[in-house]
Amino acid sequence: MNRRRRSPLSDNKRSAVIDPKLLELLACPLTRGPLTYDEERNELVSPLAHLAFPVRDGIPIMLASEARQIGDDVVKPDKPGRRRR
Amino acid sequence: MSETSHETLVGSQFGSRAEAYLKSAVHSKSEDLEALVGLMAGRSEARVLDLGCGGGHVTFNVAPLVREIVAYDLSREMLGVVEKAARERHLSNVVTRQGAVEKLPFEDKSFDAVLSRFSAHHWTDLDAGLSEAARVVKPGGMVAIADTVTPGVPLLDTYFQAIELLRDCSHVRNYSRSEWEAAIARAGLVPQSVRAFRLRLEFRSWVERMNTPDVQVRAIRALQTSVSAAATFYFETEPDGSHKIDVALFTASKRPR
Repeated sequence: MNRRRRSPLSDNKRSAVIDPKLLELLACPLTRGPLTYDEERNELVSPLAHLAFPVRDGIPIMLASEARQIGDDVVKPDKPGRRRR
Repeated sequence: MSETSHETLVGSQFGSRAEAYLKSAVHSKSEDLEALVGLMAGRSEARVLDLGCGGGHVTFNVAPLVREIVAYDLSREMLGVVEKAARERHLSNVVTRQGAVEKLPFEDKSFDAVLSRFSAHHWTDLDAGLSEAARVVKPGGMVAIADTVTPGVPLLDTYFQAIELLRDCSHVRNYSRSEWEAAIARAGLVPQSVRAFRLRLEFRSWVERMNTPDVQVRAIRALQTSVSAAATFYFETEPDGSHKIDVALFTASKRPR
């Protein structure tokens, strides 16, 4: 696949699950810190903000008002989600 | 009385009208759009952000020219329409993100260009939106914004903002060209160019697109017929309410580091 020219979207691009490559460049809108992708819940987790942003119909909703509050226990840095950078 | 947040207002105003914006001739083809899109010619490696993408017209036209374009908007319904239309047009390098312009969910220096068209007059905080645009664009990168502008003359300005608000309660403000240039400079960007356009708005489709309540449509008509002749002349208001407005395209760059 020619990643440079074509889109980073793979064939399953429009399914509910987000392609981890699409996480590139995304940051938490509140802390600007990194996000991890929780595949199981289909959420983008901001450990610093203790928020989980939903992904609906493949569109990450990066609004704090739409995000779910999460506790410390959920935000393990070595969580098997996909860690960026 | 219940309070409606501006985000909710923008979301619902546009959410219910998403398809109308996709099909709007004013939005899908005009000189200012061509000029904005033309800025991306020869930028096949660029990663671009379309801030307040609305029906996605900037995104659809820019996508074939660049490596990737992120369509960003407050309205989920709008983004749904953009997703669907991008798929139908086989534009595989379009991605969508939902959020507010005042708090962008992107890292610093992550885009080669930030584009925005007909969005900024809905922003509650122009300075915050521009600062965010300046933050996420790479040093040496471009910020290009097209929006409706007010002539700045108080009489014309008050009338213009009034009919805009009557038409659409999520309207915040149209700024003058000098206000725009000052705001661009405050965001730490270097103003590069301004281009001016006139845009004719056909009355019926203009209010239908926003689903303006009848009482407000009648109020707009009443204002149009009773306002001073200076305003009628300036906006070239026609008997049916169709009129012309000013659009400006501002380009600015971020200082290379």
